Amino acid sequence: MLYFSDLLQYSDVFLSGLKTTVELTVLTTILGVALGTVCATVRQYGNRASQRVVSVYVELIRNTPFIVQLFFIFFGLPALGMMLSPWQASMIALTINLGAYSAEIIRAGLASISKGQMEAAKVLGLNFRQTLTRVIFIPAFEKIYPALTSQCIIVMLGSAVISQISVQDLTYAANLVQSRNFRAFESYFVTALMYLGLSILLRFAFNALGKRLFAYRTAN
Amino acid sequence: MNRLTKLLSKTLIIAASFSALSASADVLQDIKDRNLIRIAVPQDFPPFGSIGTDLKPQGIDVDMANYIATEMGVKVEIVPVTSANRIPYLQTKKVDLVISSLGKNPEREKAIDFSTPYAPFFLGVFGSKDVAVTKIDELADKTVGVTRGSVEDLELEKNAPKSVNVRRFEDNNTTLTAYLSGQVNLIATGNLVAAEIAKRQPKRAPENKFMLKDSPCYIGMAKGETALQAKVNELIKGALASGELNDISMKWLKAPLPKGFGA
Amino acid sequence: MIEFSNYDILRNLLFATQWTILLSLAAFIGGTTVALTLTALRLTRNPTIQRIVKVYVELFQGTPLLMQMFLCFFGLSMLGYEISAWGAAILSLTFFTSAFLVEIWRGCIDTLPKGQWEASRCLGLSFLQTLRFIILPQAIRVATAPTVGFSVQVIKGTALASVIGFVELTKVGTMLNNATFEPFKIFTLVALIYFVLCYPLSLYSKHLEKKFNVSR
Repeated sequence: MLYFSDLLQYSDVFLSGLKTTVELTVLTTILGVALGTVCATVRQYGNRASQRVVSVYVELIRNTPFIVQLFFIFFGLPALGMMLSPWQASMIALTINLGAYSAEIIRAGLASISKGQMEAAKVLGLNFRQTLTRVIFIPAFEKIYPALTSQCIIVMLGSAVISQISVQDLTYAANLVQSRNFRAFESYFVTALMYLGLSILLRFAFNALGKRLFAYRTAN
Repeated sequence: MNRLTKLLSKTLIIAASFSALSASADVLQDIKDRNLIRIAVPQDFPPFGSIGTDLKPQGIDVDMANYIATEMGVKVEIVPVTSANRIPYLQTKKVDLVISSLGKNPEREKAIDFSTPYAPFFLGVFGSKDVAVTKIDELADKTVGVTRGSVEDLELEKNAPKSVNVRRFEDNNTTLTAYLSGQVNLIATGNLVAAEIAKRQPKRAPENKFMLKDSPCYIGMAKGETALQAKVNELIKGALASGELNDISMKWLKAPLPKGFGA
Repeated sequence: MIEFSNYDILRNLLFATQWTILLSLAAFIGGTTVALTLTALRLTRNPTIQRIVKVYVELFQGTPLLMQMFLCFFGLSMLGYEISAWGAAILSLTFFTSAFLVEIWRGCIDTLPKGQWEASRCLGLSFLQTLRFIILPQAIRVATAPTVGFSVQVIKGTALASVIGFVELTKVGTMLNNATFEPFKIFTLVALIYFVLCYPLSLYSKHLEKKFNVSR
């Protein structure tokens, strides 16, 4: 027997959980992609030593589970005197995670831009920073935009894990309601649907943003 | 063709007997039929249940589980659970009994049935020395760690001031880790658990701030299992009379049962 | 009070690692089997089937793996299907793995020029023959690198099974942490073991990718 109506009295709990998940997603998406862009640029154009540092970071993150990274930051770092609130720890863990994955994706985009573009920009008198922001980044991002979108959605869904360190996100709400009224299926089912809605919405937002970012294509 | 139909009918019979098995409501009979009782115990809640170096659970609840199984004359399967998921384990028939320092409250009584108590337990708020709290009203604007869905969680929700910041964790492991790593400086938990932390980490020994509730431990079972409930109550009564419960208390708590316990 | 020596910690973690490996293997085998079936169904170009596969992929790529595990473990039993933590972990990881592999493989098949299907048809090859002799040999070569790469995600995904109580590497890590109260040491070791499991696969996937790109 299913009793979805038992969830109604907890709608506030679900809504505030939804709000936390959305806030964290927006923030970490922006910060994570920014971190990824910096790392990708260093890996593509930086010197040997800095390339090394970035690739160690990327490989370490990509080859360990997010939940272990989160536990390490939240429970492990205090031993070294770094105390972070659950919210801060999650934000840092999510940003570092997305940063590593997006660095790898964005670097593939940068690598796909032909060397000639770089040289042409130099001839036109653009400095390195101008070349990157005005010539390289937009077409590079366009190439990898779908992959980047998927990665951001994966990180958003992965954020369900932060409920384990008591961040009051959507999954936390589901668990809390489940521990109060013992309606596990209903509670998790509704929450899963909300996540599905969020991932569809996020894809939508990315597509809309992409249309504006890459408008130069349709302009000529 | 003939063989195929035989095989099919055999499968059907097996399937039918399986569904008949799961449809029967008498768990006590099921336990006797399969000669095995499945009991949920904690593995992160010393001295009730914690792991040894071989990762096997040990403690009051584990001894209790073994006692019940021996008295029933069946084999025992010990299933480690967390406090957040022990009731779903019962509801979904993954175990027959929950012996997991389970306290009684009205919300739970709607979902499952309880035996008579088998061990004493007091819930309180504990914390490091530098936090000045003496009663529940003084928790305002303070952060308290607690295990989600536990009796202490519900007590805090009911009685603590609205401005208290309750951080709920999935299991006792995580709650204890949060306290020991300094992520929270106050926790709501049982007196025995706090004593255990003090023993292991004298530096972070939590001192008792105030009591929340007298909440002895009961054995939980699925709703409506009257035969099983009667059997378990009878065994607890026997253990109380024979001194078995007192022995368990002496072994793990280094103290006899309080006078008049279970009366 | 029991004391855990470093040897005890490492021994227990390594013991738990075998469950992580077993769960990963089971999930990967289950996932590839389901994904193969779905890919084959998709190739039939029947619009209804294609839509069903698409919804399947959307559903399992669009919801958190953790939620799928909770639903499989507690949700299914609430509906009357008894399932163990081990079963629920395999089931949800199979859904998760297959949903991603179907998409990866679709991408691989789509990179092959459409003209090949038409040419095979002109040569009088049937649908299955085209698949067997023309499409699959090429698609498998393209698909190997990303599939190996994805197996890393499967291994990391098994860490979530700890939350529903399946005793694997992460779970034993938290259990040991509770017994020793040395989170820094334990989680460093846990992360290190995962890295040792995953990194060779990542490297191998990259190597395959390079090899393939050169030979093309």
